[in-house]
Parts: sequence; C-alpha cells; structure tokens
Amino acid sequence: MSEQDPVPMEDQKPASDSTPAELAPSTTSETEADKRDPAPSVSTVAKAEPAIDPIALEAVIETRVEEPDVIDGVQVKAANEAVLAESREHTRRAFVLAAAGAVAGYGFYRWIDQSPGVAMQLRPLRRAFQANAAIARAVFRDRALAPTYSLKEAKDLRVNGVYGLKKMLVPESWRLQLVGVQDAARHPQFTSDVTVWEYRYVDTASHEDQGHDTKIDPNARTAEKMAPMPMMDQATVEENRAERMPRGKEEAGESYSTLMPQTPGLLLTMDDLLKLPRHELVTQFKCIEGWSEIVHWAGVRMADFLEAYPPAFIDGREPKYVYMETPDGDYYTGYDLNVCRHPQTLLVTEMMGAPLTQYHGAPLRLHMPTKYGYKQIKRIGLISYTNRKPDDYWTKLGYDWYAGL
Amino acid sequence: MSLVSADKMTVTIRIERKHPLAIRWMHWVNFPVLFTMIWSGILIYWNDSDNAYRHPHAIYRIGIGKVTLLRLFPEWVYRQMNVPYHVTEGLGYHFFFMWIFALNGIAYVIFLVLSGEWRFLVPERRSLRDAIQVTLVDLHLRKGLPEQIKYNGAQRIAYSSVILMGVGILVTGLAIYKPTQLHWLTSLLGGYEMARWLHFWITMSFLAFFMVHVGQVVLAGWNNFRAMVSGREIQSANDPSIELARRSWK
Repeated sequence: MSEQDPVPMEDQKPASDSTPAELAPSTTSETEADKRDPAPSVSTVAKAEPAIDPIALEAVIETRVEEPDVIDGVQVKAANEAVLAESREHTRRAFVLAAAGAVAGYGFYRWIDQSPGVAMQLRPLRRAFQANAAIARAVFRDRALAPTYSLKEAKDLRVNGVYGLKKMLVPESWRLQLVGVQDAARHPQFTSDVTVWEYRYVDTASHEDQGHDTKIDPNARTAEKMAPMPMMDQATVEENRAERMPRGKEEAGESYSTLMPQTPGLLLTMDDLLKLPRHELVTQFKCIEGWSEIVHWAGVRMADFLEAYPPAFIDGREPKYVYMETPDGDYYTGYDLNVCRHPQTLLVTEMMGAPLTQYHGAPLRLHMPTKYGYKQIKRIGLISYTNRKPDDYWTKLGYDWYAGL
Repeated sequence: MSLVSADKMTVTIRIERKHPLAIRWMHWVNFPVLFTMIWSGILIYWNDSDNAYRHPHAIYRIGIGKVTLLRLFPEWVYRQMNVPYHVTEGLGYHFFFMWIFALNGIAYVIFLVLSGEWRFLVPERRSLRDAIQVTLVDLHLRKGLPEQIKYNGAQRIAYSSVILMGVGILVTGLAIYKPTQLHWLTSLLGGYEMARWLHFWITMSFLAFFMVHVGQVVLAGWNNFRAMVSGREIQSANDPSIELARRSWK
C-alpha cells in the first residue's frame, strides 16, 4: 500500500521568501491550470538557475523530464511560484480551521471527561445509557424470544457475585414478600407488615465454591473491582465514613427502594409458587463481563406469577416497574413490568436438573434472557410492584439500569 | 523579478482538488472516535480476558492447534495502558461514541455514492496487480509505480477494505449489543461468542490498518498529508487530473 506521490511539497521553502501577494495576483486557479498545455521538460534550464525554489522544483523536474526543450526557465519558475504561493495561502487558512476543529473536538472530550458523575457514571455517558434504553424500548419492545438450545449444550453456571448470599439461609425461614399486589387483603397470605418477617441464617460455612467476581480477591471491596477510577476515591471515602447499614452492607449501600416499616403485603411460601405451572428453559446466560454459558433452568414463569398475583393499579394504571431484593437487602434490582411479563422471564427453582444451591440463589432466583446477568437476582426475598423507578445495585456503581439484550 | 501574467507562462505544477470537504471532515472525525471506540472496547474486553477463573478464552489468542503463542492481551500490556478496573468507563464511552462512529461512517458511504467519489476508491480489475507492484516498489524490490489518478491499486484495496471492516464492526457490534432482540443476526454470525470473536479481530484489523496507514502517510510526505487537511495537493502538470476525472463522470 502506498500513498506516495512523486510531487514534492512547496512548503520546504524558507519562510523568508516572497509573500503570496507579491507573487501571485491569484489569477491562477486549478481549473485554468488544467486547460494549459502540460509543460514539456525543462530540466536543463531550471537546473542552470536555481533561483526560487530549488528543492521543490528540482524534484518536480527530476520526476517529469522526458526530453529537454527550450523554455524560459525564469518564467517557468515564476509561474510555478505563483501556484505555490496560492497553495501556501490556502494551506494557511485550512490549517487554522483544522486547528479550531481540533480544539473544539478536544473541548468536547473534556466536557464529557470533566462532567460530574451520576451513579458513578459521567453524566453525558449516563444520559447516553438512558437514551439508548429509550431507543431499544421503542424499537424492540423487549418482545423477541431468545434462542433456546438442546439440553446437551447446557452446563453448570459459574458462580459470580455472592452479595446477599454470604450467609446460608435456613430454608424453612424463607418467604417471598410481595408488595403492591391487587386486593392484597383478600389473600390468605396477607400481613399488615411484611418487613417484620425474620429470615434466619445458619452459621456453618458452606462447602460450595462461592466463586469470584472478576480478577480480584473475592473479599475485596466492590468499588475496587468495578468502579471507574475517577469515582473510586470518592466511593472509598464514603465507604470509610459511612456507618455500616443494617441493610445493604455491600459497596452500593442500602437501596432507596427498600421497604419502609409497616408495609403491608403477602408472605408467600414455596408451595404457593409451585402451584403455578412448571416451565423449563435452556437459554444462554450472558454476563456483562463478556462470558456466556448455556444453562438449563426450571421454575415458574414470571408472567404466570403476575397473572396469579397481579399488581394493584396506581392512579388507574398498572405500575411501570418491578423491584426485587435479597432478604438482607444487600443486593437489589429493578425492571420494567413488561420485561417481567416476557414469556422467558423465569422465577427459577432448579438449575441443571437440581435444586438451586446457596450461591446460585436458593431457594428462588430470576432468569431473563433479555437482560445481562447482573439483573438476574439470586435469593429473591422481595418482589414489589412500584411506579417509582427502582434502585439497582450495579446501576449505582456505574452500570446501565436497563441492561437490555 | 518582473511579474508576468500567469496564463502567459508555462507552469509545470498545478494545485489539484484532491479531497472534498466532506471526506476530510469525516476522515478526521473518525480518527479520534475510532480511537475512543478501540480504547473503551479494550477496557470492556479486559473484564473477561484473563480472570480469576482462568476462563479459557482460547479463541482470543494467536497459536496453532493447541500451541498458544500469545494470549490477548498479556498482563503487562494491560498495566502499561492502565486498562484494569475501568470497565464502566469503557461501557460509558463505548455506548456513547458508537453513535458518532456509526453515523459518521454511514454519512461517509452515502457521500461516496452520491458524489461519485466511490469511483476513485473501489478496486478495478487492475488494482490487485497494481497493488503488488506498489508493494514491491515500497519494499525497494522493484521500480516504477503504476499510473494512478487519485489512489493506486493498493490504496483502492485498503480503503475499500476498511469500509467493509466498518460495516463488519457495526454488524458484529449490534449482534453483541442486542443478542436477544436481534438473535437472527447473532445466529447468522455464528452465535454470540462468534460475534464477539469477529468484533475483536475486526478491531485488531483496524489497529493493523492504522499502523500501516500512518506509516505510509509519513513516508508519502507533507504534500499528501496536507491534502487531507486543506483538500489541495500540488501535482505535476503532467499527472492525470483528479478534477478532470470528476468532470468526466457527469
């Protein structure tokens, strides 16, 4: 590949030479130049008198000459110099404009880079996440069905992320808190305050491999693993200053969507859930870290759950969002209601033909092939229908809330 | 020196309008934007390139059979480039600048088609032969560059390929970005992992193109470089005229 051009540059000439105004009344345009007869060779004459632009002219001549002819060397050089002078003037203007463009471009970059962070993401980039989500919702409506695979292709899922799972839950103490359901008081599982339900934990360590998050010691603070550098210092300061919250003990802190005391709702048991039709699914799980695995899931469809326990209308309309949380409130996620109605959104009780294990979110986790893994919450303790855009663990640490695939 | 009216004299050089304004703008917008896309892409890619699980990403490597010469990228490369733990920064920039990259690229192709400038760019029957000759001349193995108007055969092939790479990077990017909503596209490319693999290697091709391109621009010199800024190039009057070629299309 070559971008070589046999013609030399004219700007090698010393700057002290004649100004364009002196030399060229600028009557020479390139179109006129086209009409003129191409110059025959001029080498001998030109070389005899290297007056104006020896370097440039010589190079032109050397590459061009076929047979020497008689032309007035001074005139040729003067004519060429007029062309070069016009070019210099044009070059000057072009480079001033180019410099202005470069400064504007750099200013644009600085504007982004110096913007304040919104949930650990630079504001213009956070806005871009939101705009991208709006476009994706409008174009796709989250309707497409993810491809499914044969059972043979499925394999055990990696454990990745153990927030809200670190202590072993006593299975009998598990209830699903459900808030915002229609005619809640008519259900036998109704209670006037779901927040008083006490989840119990076992002290014994699990033998299960609890996995890692990324490339770092699983005990390192999340900010060190995932947060963008400019915001990390800030996060570390806050982490050190803040008292440990009773809920939300991980890096992102307590969810602003967590329940207030005295929130009425239902306390559902696993038996309640298993009354819904069982569904199996073999789909690809995709982590925003980049890896993906085909997994065999079984459980009940969230769509069926929403049929059985429909959301109460707010201001005459269905609420827009669904919020979920682990029993200890350490991990939490938010969704559009319609994504929960997607026929492949599954409340999972089994993986790879076996009941869920502790670090895969026993007894109940979410799978939705329309979202990245960080939205597929493990060990669901609360489902809440809400009109306020719910808080989301990884969104607070700089990731996109929508996370739609 | 007496001033003689220019058209009475015989000039041996002329100013040629080489690159239209639109092409220059889009070229220079693309330069930092493509850089940002590659840089932010590497920040994202790092997150899965060599993690604690030793997740065997055998495909992101250079090797034959089971012998791996190089895994991309070695730890020291990441450290040198300050890549580790900037994932969300990468995601933020990638999903912002993708729009500028895509729109600029689409505008470029539309401009090429509408202006007719594609005629300078699309390889001709003789381009491959010319490209070989040009390469040999570049390597000082042979003499005599083949005749060209705006671009030689090697340039035609390279610049057309880079447009195809642009199409490829957008299509594979889309397949990774929306693998559920656009699963037909992802499947067409051989699945999610394959789409990621293609996306990665097209990026590497962009880097390779960039190296050669910058090297050639440096070798070609000021006159050629300036034309990408000012649009004009000084040509010998004997050279075939780019402007005349443009007029001949109409």
